[in-house]
Amino acid sequence: MKRHLMAAIAAGLTVALGMTGCSKGSSSGGGSSDGKTIKFAAAIYDADTKVYWDDLIKTFEAQNKGYKVNLEMVDWTQIDQKVKTWVQTKQTPDILNYNAYSDFARDGLIYKASEIVSPQVLSDFLPQFVAGAKYQGEQYGLPFISSARQLFYNKDIFKKAGITDPPKSWDDVKADAQKIKKAGFIGYGLPLGPEEAQAEFYSWAMNNNGGWVDASGKWAINQQANVDTLNYLRDLNKSGLTQPNPETTDRKTVFNQFALGKIGMGINGPMARKNAIQPVNKDLSFGVAPLPSKDGTTHNTLGVQDFLVGFKNGGKNKDAVSKFLNFFYQKDNSAKFLQTEGFLSVTKSAGEALSSDPYYKPFVDALANAKFAPTDNPAWSAVAGAVKQSLGTSVANADPKKVLDNIQQTAEKNG
Amino acid sequence: MRSRGTGVATPVPRAGAARRIRSALAPLLWIGPAIVLIAVVVLWPVVEMVRTSLLKISSSGLTLGSRGAQNYTDLFSEGDLVDVMLRTLVWVVGVVVATMVLSLGLAQLLNARFPGRRVVRWAVIVPWAASVLMTSLIWKWMLDNYFGVVNEVLVDLGVIDKPVNWLAHPTQAMLWMMWVAVFVSLPFASFVILAGLQTVPGEVYEAARVDGAGTFRTYFQITLPLLRPALLIASIINVINVFNSFPIIWAMTQGGPGHATDTTTTFMYKIAFFDQNVGESAAMAVVNFALILVLVLLYLRASRWREEVS
Repeated sequence: MKRHLMAAIAAGLTVALGMTGCSKGSSSGGGSSDGKTIKFAAAIYDADTKVYWDDLIKTFEAQNKGYKVNLEMVDWTQIDQKVKTWVQTKQTPDILNYNAYSDFARDGLIYKASEIVSPQVLSDFLPQFVAGAKYQGEQYGLPFISSARQLFYNKDIFKKAGITDPPKSWDDVKADAQKIKKAGFIGYGLPLGPEEAQAEFYSWAMNNNGGWVDASGKWAINQQANVDTLNYLRDLNKSGLTQPNPETTDRKTVFNQFALGKIGMGINGPMARKNAIQPVNKDLSFGVAPLPSKDGTTHNTLGVQDFLVGFKNGGKNKDAVSKFLNFFYQKDNSAKFLQTEGFLSVTKSAGEALSSDPYYKPFVDALANAKFAPTDNPAWSAVAGAVKQSLGTSVANADPKKVLDNIQQTAEKNG
Repeated sequence: MRSRGTGVATPVPRAGAARRIRSALAPLLWIGPAIVLIAVVVLWPVVEMVRTSLLKISSSGLTLGSRGAQNYTDLFSEGDLVDVMLRTLVWVVGVVVATMVLSLGLAQLLNARFPGRRVVRWAVIVPWAASVLMTSLIWKWMLDNYFGVVNEVLVDLGVIDKPVNWLAHPTQAMLWMMWVAVFVSLPFASFVILAGLQTVPGEVYEAARVDGAGTFRTYFQITLPLLRPALLIASIINVINVFNSFPIIWAMTQGGPGHATDTTTTFMYKIAFFDQNVGESAAMAVVNFALILVLVLLYLRASRWREEVS
């Protein structure tokens, strides 16, 4: 019996210790050696994304005999991990749909935009998106979709609380939130959980002349305007005008409650109607207004864009990659994607195709004054990561200045 | 038989040496596959992990060359590291002690004869058979602030007067997650102990009864000491599993708010995928690995396992 015990201990330890070793995860390789088969890793925006790409690829393969596109759908919650693993094990896809590009450009992994799309496509991109797709003056990222954030408000709750117009200044927001609270609802839904803390914070900070960098492009995360912004949001929370625990709440939860008619106001992009509000409550009566600003006069909006990038993978794939990308950026194809998912256009041609639905108008108009996260700086991913992890704590128990100081340090460490 | 006889008779010394080597290598045939398995599944990842912890890895994932011990310096200057380490200790000790105590009771119950015992034994296996991630997600939703059944029941019973956002408060979140960890660890621990209980010969109990030992005394002076080997295995494997447990914490709180519910395992993940620093994350993995080895060795030493097994 003793000897069995020894064996059991040995086997148990072996198995348990083996599990501590990191697993590399499985991934299929890139394209074929003839360069006519490419791998495309696409992010899942919602249930319709895969249907769209399957259709598009089928048409593409029918029109371009001999070319083949292997599609891999990746969930946003897993995409960072997958992409890092692909790069580390040299198994990058040929085309990737992602929210960052500049560290690939810095490390020489991806094609310049001009190498893989036609001059017509290049000149079709709207200039405000091209600016955020460059690395050291050269465009690498291909703008893919965009969104602009606006203040969503529940018209029924506003009526019950006796509010006539959506708030313009921060004081208005607080006053309205108090009225809404009195009427028995949650005033403002503040998502500062890890999902998107960086977007929510910047939506407020930019309307107080704050932001991530100063005029010279240096990190200025702990500037006074940002500290003031957090103090304002902290006050909203501490006065009981937000949902409980903003530091752990994600936008998904806030907009679920908004759709159920329990929250008066919240910030989101155009896609909210399709993926958050309509599935829960088709009859919700809501309005959309510009983001409130400190003084209530000028209103900036947060612009967000995702990208397509082409990985070099040795270079044989260039012809196929470029064929597929040019095909996608044909007006009808890219417009159809935007309509499917409820995003805003990044090209002039598809923008025209979208303008028929009046719902999109305030978002498109706001895009003209949009400010973007500094995605052209390769350190941005690490900064956004630090913000996601810790920014929320500043409206709960931590000191706003200290939290911002720490993030500033992280930013400077990453360059 | 005959051919072997002639082989011995041939006066060629080299054949004898070859045979000696062959017979020395013969056991390899049996233990070879196991050695290969251990080398590939256990040793290679460890080597790879240590190697990665010394590399400079770009935020994109590209290896940019050696970084020496700089990753370790960065890791040890992380402001949250000490808190995270202490919390990991509380997490491991808390979960393992609670699991072992509960398992002792459960195993005793499963060892008793009662109608429906088979069904109860099967029921105890269920949390083990279910995916840990799934169990954690179910608990996350049960504890939800807006829709959670836990809040609903407690409010209806009048225990609390309005819903509590359990997972947003570090202490409460930690306790709930420890409960989930105990819940998923119970089946393994109780079945190992049950197996131990079944090896205790009936005559020992008979002798104790004859000598006039009461239930209490029988349990503490006979059952428990005889269960020591089983307890040892169950708790060591439990320590390792709980130490490395990622899905429970990740699914329920993501280690948040801030780093308030992180253990070294989730902290390691955050360094890699939020801070974009794979090298430093690997350094954390090495530290984790070393900690667990030390922990297990100390435990084995304290429990004088050699006396138990040899």
